[in-house]
Amino acid sequence: MLKNYFKIAIAVLKRRKFFTFISLFGISFTLTVITVAVAFLNKFINEDYPDYKRERSLYVGTMELRNSKEGWLNRSDVSFYFLDHYVSKLQRVEKMAISSGAQASNAFINNKKIVIEYKYTNADYWNVLEYEFLEGKPYGVQDIENANMVAVISEETRDDYFGPNVKAVGKYISADNINYRVIGVVKNVSKTLYNFAGDMYIPYTVSRQKWNEVGLLGNCTAVLLARTPDDVPQLKRDFDQMMSKVPLPDKEFDKAFSNADTYFESVTRRITGDGENSGQNKAIGLLLALLTIFLLLPTINLVSINITRIMERSSEIGVRKAFGASSSTLVYQFIVENLILTIIGGILGLLLSSIAIYFINHADLISNMRLTLSPAVLAYSLLACMLFGLLSGVYPAWRMSRLNVVNALKAQ
Amino acid sequence: MIRLENIEKVYRTDTVETLAINGINLHVQKGEFLSIMGPSGCGKSTLLNIMGLLDEPSRGQIKIDNQDISRYSDKQMANFRNEKLGFIFQSYHLINDLQVLDNVELPLLYRNSSSQSRRALATAALEKVGLSNRTKHFPTQLSGGQRQRVAIARAIVGQPQIILADEPTGNLDSAMGNEIMDILINLNKNEGTTIVMVTHDESMAQKTHRLVRLFDGSQVQ
Amino acid sequence: MFKHLYKLMWNKRKQNFLLLSEILVSFLVIFALFSFLVYYFQNYQKPKGLDYERVWTVSYDNRQVSKQLDSARLFYDDLERSLKAMPQIREVAYTSANFPYSQSVMNTNVSLGDKVINSVNRYVSGIDYHKVLQMNLTEGRWFYPEDAAAAIKPIVINETLKAEAFGKQSAVGRLFDNHDKTSRRRIVGVVQDVKVEGDYLPSGKAMYTPLDTTDIKWNSFILLKVTEAADANFEGKLYKYLGQRFNNERVEITYMKDLRTAKNEVTLIPMIIFMIVAGFLIINVALGLFGVLWYNINRRRSEIGLRRAIGASSTSVSGQLVSESLILATLSIIVGCFFALQFPLLHVFDVAANVYLYAILLTVLFIYLLVIACSVYPGKQAAAIHPATALHEE
Repeated sequence: MLKNYFKIAIAVLKRRKFFTFISLFGISFTLTVITVAVAFLNKFINEDYPDYKRERSLYVGTMELRNSKEGWLNRSDVSFYFLDHYVSKLQRVEKMAISSGAQASNAFINNKKIVIEYKYTNADYWNVLEYEFLEGKPYGVQDIENANMVAVISEETRDDYFGPNVKAVGKYISADNINYRVIGVVKNVSKTLYNFAGDMYIPYTVSRQKWNEVGLLGNCTAVLLARTPDDVPQLKRDFDQMMSKVPLPDKEFDKAFSNADTYFESVTRRITGDGENSGQNKAIGLLLALLTIFLLLPTINLVSINITRIMERSSEIGVRKAFGASSSTLVYQFIVENLILTIIGGILGLLLSSIAIYFINHADLISNMRLTLSPAVLAYSLLACMLFGLLSGVYPAWRMSRLNVVNALKAQ
Repeated sequence: MIRLENIEKVYRTDTVETLAINGINLHVQKGEFLSIMGPSGCGKSTLLNIMGLLDEPSRGQIKIDNQDISRYSDKQMANFRNEKLGFIFQSYHLINDLQVLDNVELPLLYRNSSSQSRRALATAALEKVGLSNRTKHFPTQLSGGQRQRVAIARAIVGQPQIILADEPTGNLDSAMGNEIMDILINLNKNEGTTIVMVTHDESMAQKTHRLVRLFDGSQVQ
Repeated sequence: MFKHLYKLMWNKRKQNFLLLSEILVSFLVIFALFSFLVYYFQNYQKPKGLDYERVWTVSYDNRQVSKQLDSARLFYDDLERSLKAMPQIREVAYTSANFPYSQSVMNTNVSLGDKVINSVNRYVSGIDYHKVLQMNLTEGRWFYPEDAAAAIKPIVINETLKAEAFGKQSAVGRLFDNHDKTSRRRIVGVVQDVKVEGDYLPSGKAMYTPLDTTDIKWNSFILLKVTEAADANFEGKLYKYLGQRFNNERVEITYMKDLRTAKNEVTLIPMIIFMIVAGFLIINVALGLFGVLWYNINRRRSEIGLRRAIGASSTSVSGQLVSESLILATLSIIVGCFFALQFPLLHVFDVAANVYLYAILLTVLFIYLLVIACSVYPGKQAAAIHPATALHEE
């Protein structure tokens, strides 16, 4: 039976080239946009180099101090002191990666200006995050304690500063007129990983900032690594409990919020949330609303084309009914037909997506962001494809099942 | 074989009620070749559609093979049509997107039969109507008479007990019409198929066993 | 004739429901697109209000600068003099972080008697700020160094703020209270709007306050206007010099030109993506419309044949079909306009009403053109139908 549906579907699609073209155009284009959007979202949501341990990681990003009476608030990254003095004492934290926000600086070499965004990190940063070292190694606890003037640089920085593929380890790089000895070179990190992207990484003890100054607001973020994924919810609770006991630094504010978030929460908190609320539901709601609005037009279009196709074939449907096809059989037939069309459109859409992604990657719209058609992206796109096929097929099929046989047979 | 009791059919629009069929009682015997005649709009096609379970009567009962059809579900009716009935239409109603052989196989698709047996049955049916050399053509490549023969092959491929034909010769000239008529008469004689045919051609009607005349929704004789 | 066609369409409203909603949704998408485009275009046409060429911005970490007022003052005065003495540097001005095309915003509100004016951008500016950016004074003057001694501190405002506060009256000499009415400021000049958010966004209300003694301690940005002689070599030397002055703290030099490009990209790239997506949606809809109209016409061959038989010319037949589509489009457009007009009526966004009106006008035009384009070919096809064959088919 299915084979027959398939055969008929192909025959119909071949005969009605114009309608097939319109449908395929609509489906493949819609899918391309969705796939590219999913690939982009995937960059923010799914595990990505160098942050591979998201299952047992929690992210501490923002600190928000509020004056609930006057409605003021003060929000920034957390201070090193806060991480060191409170968070590191939590029992379920196996390791903690601390890094400062990237700061831009210049370096001049051969009359060429290079912008270097550097970050201060602790030693465990290299243990929690799995940077890929092209050469050399990270700095360790000893380097931190001795405040050694060493730096790990990115591949991009090495290529700009020392020349493409020149060995950099052991050489000196000058930023802010200070010389650092390069001890490692890592693969570039996509700028979408806000907390981990940088051109140069330096031990925090080298910084002349008063990194151990008492206070909650600062310019650090941290990744808390739990021992097992099962520990994560408890660690979150421990963090909240600890937070409720943190003394407020200032009379000006009466509330302090900081959270240990999952990665997705940490992203949505920056965009749609605040100290109290992770904004996760709001972000998902917004995304869904956007998706619905975007899908509305192609869906209506496909539905009206499908209905036209059905009306055009009303005599065929009448004949099938006369010769013993029940309404449900016909509805299945139509839905199968529509799914086949959607799948062909889906394959075309994936081809178009890979072309679009190729161009986006080459245009380097966001520094070092490389979109990929990973299995997860493919799965989501397939899901969207099926949903789209069903959505645009169900209403016409319902109309078809109600088609009056007598009229349909008269229609020709 | 087919028993219609007090069949009435009313068409309603917003303002007018039209009585298309008014209390018809009809009994079609097994193996009978019956023709229905009458002027345009007398309700003969409606009657045929009701017999073919394509349309529901407003009142009355249909019994086919002593089974009351009126309470059948959509699925049951579909099965019944598939097993017991074969249709022939004035305007053929072939599916233009399918080749002749696939068109003929159509009723068998809604049964559980293998593709080989379908193919064999369809080829045999086409042979009976003398079109075994046209199996790979599309309907649009055939003449009117050939198309109607394909439609007959489609009607008989499932070996139905009853064939309902709605002006099968209406679109054809008399030579072609006679050809089609001969096929139907042979079918009735050799296979014992019950045939009900609507026509407005007196000469065609004379070739059948019994003639029923309708006028304004009522049976005249 | 019109009435006849309207009846025909109205009686088929159920059949045409999908087509109608499709045109309606397209209308709304196109309306959104045109609203953005008109808004950006109107802003783009306004003058930039500054010259960003050869302006360098220096950001530095002020940790090593003394927090003692007097010594900070001395340090900065000396630095300014030294920089200005360099032949490659024409003008020097300190600034707050929210200089043009930067990522920073600093908002405040001011009051004028009982009237409170919200979200006024406050730019802390050095004495030569307007010279670095070559801003255009339209009224009054910029700050003088002597102003520092004045009892009421001077400010310069932009034309947008002036228009909102004083309308067409002169602003010079008028006084503003600050947000909590603890201090007053005297307006000494009005400058042309500076489009700080890039070429496609409005300047907003702005006031420029002189860099005073409290600001100077926290200052961490310098604007420089350099001459054509300022090359990469000079930039390297300047970088080294600044590094020494700030005790090897972080220093970064950027070009305002690059900041402007980046700022414009932030506006344009989403717009381009929106346009591409909307473009494909519209092609999609156009093809769909075309297909449905084509099918409708094929289905109505006998009707068309009849019309031809009773004396309609082929042009009147194709004209009829095109008009039918236009009536359909009009129905959708009326509903669409109803939604679109809510934006200016309810002031959903802080955008001038004429932006929406232009956008509605353009959208209506666009939809009509789209529908005509999609129905002309099917209409022509219908006109080619031969009445005899069309009637025979039935």
